[in-house]
Amino acid sequence: MKTNSGLNVHKAGKIFRAGSRQPRVALEGVSLHLPPGQVGVLLGPSGCGKSTLLRMVAGLEAPTSGALSLNGRAITGPGRDRGMVFQSYTSFPWLTVRQNVAYGLTINGDASSLKEGVVDHFIRAVRLQDVANAYPHELSGGMRQRVAIARTLANHPELLLMDEPFGALDPETRWQMQELLLGIVRKEHTTVLLVSHDIEEALYLGDVVFFLSSHPGRLREVIRPGFKHEVPAGDREALLDHPEYRRLDLHIRRLMSEEGRRAA
Amino acid sequence: MTVSLQDRLTHSARGAQVGVGEAPVAVSLRRRWLDFGQSLDWRRRLWLGACGWLLFLAGWYLAAQAGLAPARLFPGPGQVLTALHTLFAEQQFLGDVLASVRRIAVSFGLAVALALPLGLLMGAFARIDALLNPLLGAFRYLPAPAFIPLLLMWLGTGDSHKIALLLIGVVFFLAIMLADDTRQVPASFIETAKTLGGGRRSVLWTVVFRHSLPGYLDTCRQMLAVSWTYLVIAEIVAATDGIGAMMMRAKRFVHVDDIMAGIVTIGLLGLAFDALFRLLYRWWFPYLRPENHR
Ligand SMILES: Nc1ncnc2c1ncn2[C@@H]1O[C@H](COP(=O)(O)OP(=O)(O)O)[C@@H](O)[C@H]1O
Ligand SMILES: [Mg+2]
Repeated sequence: MKTNSGLNVHKAGKIFRAGSRQPRVALEGVSLHLPPGQVGVLLGPSGCGKSTLLRMVAGLEAPTSGALSLNGRAITGPGRDRGMVFQSYTSFPWLTVRQNVAYGLTINGDASSLKEGVVDHFIRAVRLQDVANAYPHELSGGMRQRVAIARTLANHPELLLMDEPFGALDPETRWQMQELLLGIVRKEHTTVLLVSHDIEEALYLGDVVFFLSSHPGRLREVIRPGFKHEVPAGDREALLDHPEYRRLDLHIRRLMSEEGRRAA
Repeated sequence: MTVSLQDRLTHSARGAQVGVGEAPVAVSLRRRWLDFGQSLDWRRRLWLGACGWLLFLAGWYLAAQAGLAPARLFPGPGQVLTALHTLFAEQQFLGDVLASVRRIAVSFGLAVALALPLGLLMGAFARIDALLNPLLGAFRYLPAPAFIPLLLMWLGTGDSHKIALLLIGVVFFLAIMLADDTRQVPASFIETAKTLGGGRRSVLWTVVFRHSLPGYLDTCRQMLAVSWTYLVIAEIVAATDGIGAMMMRAKRFVHVDDIMAGIVTIGLLGLAFDALFRLLYRWWFPYLRPENHR
């Protein structure tokens, strides 16, 4: 395989066996491809296996069938090439913002990146330069999530993984965070795989949206909002106003409610 | 306590509206003392703490004055204070105190040195926990003083017998409690570190251990209080020096005031160590200070 082939998920399945309970099929035969430099969004109803799939890509969960690879290398466990941002705030409370952002480089002994000002670059990118020496508990939820994003990006991952990163934020902050993320990702050409259950977020951020259905989790449809090239990058209002946006929005809503009926 | 008259008036005024037929003072008192979720500044806490002590000393003084028992057997606080002074000034009590503190330091240090690696590994790795927790958990229920006859035969009456008793009394509790502290680290912290390229060693030290440090310090503070109990037991059973030994000497001559002075000394030392630990906590973990949290 080519070395820059992006993320490949091949017939991945996951069955949870917990003690005496009946085995639970979380995912079945999911195959997908995410080219480098693109933002992929995993969208679907709650419990359809989005987090499980993301955790398998991170190497935090092993697939019970199938195979996953990033840029030609098989995924067998967690690694620096796939940094993850969680929904819960994970900035380490005992480290300042700057120390948090430097954490990955420090534990990897990456002295050259530390010297080259990578840490400050990403602190500025998420606009936290004024609180660089503060501890996380002094920050708001949105700021803490920005710390986590900067910390992951400063570590040079080939793929940025995010599990509903803005789910705990208020709508206003969530909006700003989406714009900030999109700006950074476009500038740094980061490949991103993001979990969401919000249609607007998925269509606003995603170059490609993978819609999963539940029981068992399967890839139901791949949606490419290609019309986004017709509106100015990051212009949310123009996007929401586009007829193609409204068509896709309605289409995904129908998929969602079908899933809801199947579950009931 | 500076309660302005204005304050009192408004309180009683509101009280009169609320409690029909109740004395306004009672309502105001209840509002002040029995309100949930209040936080006090250190000045007020110090003042109230001193009041608690004063109440205790006054009760003691009155009980001694009441003549329920002969003064020789139940001396008042004044007599005990005099005895304490005499002990330090004329009977080299400082040597006894230092001997006890040295034993505590050595044996508690040893207990932490043994329990900390166990607690860290048990808290971090489920299999090590499953292997050791039932074992240590069972040992925890053995009353340490039951080992005294054995220890006396094996180790004699020297320091090693006392250190061993303290170890038996403390180390199993300590290991289990330190393991509990270790388990508090959120799984998402560990997973974040893993996806940032953290290996087993760096996750263990830079996340699991580092996250647990404040909990460890607090647990040690609690267990230090317990180890004083075992020290005094050990010194009362067999010792030539130490606070417990002094108290046994005093018992022979029915010097109740000296015995009580020993008890007071232990209490004061405990208070001092507690304060030291709290100070360290504030110094080392500035990010946990309540006033820094919003
Ligand atoms: N560790 C686990 N053990 C057992 N079942 C699990 C575990 N993690 C997830 N599941 C199950 O797998 C399914 C998918 O979960 P998840 O990936 O969290 O869904 P989503 O993120 O889409 O809401 C759910 O039915 C959930 O109960
Ligand atoms: Mg989820």
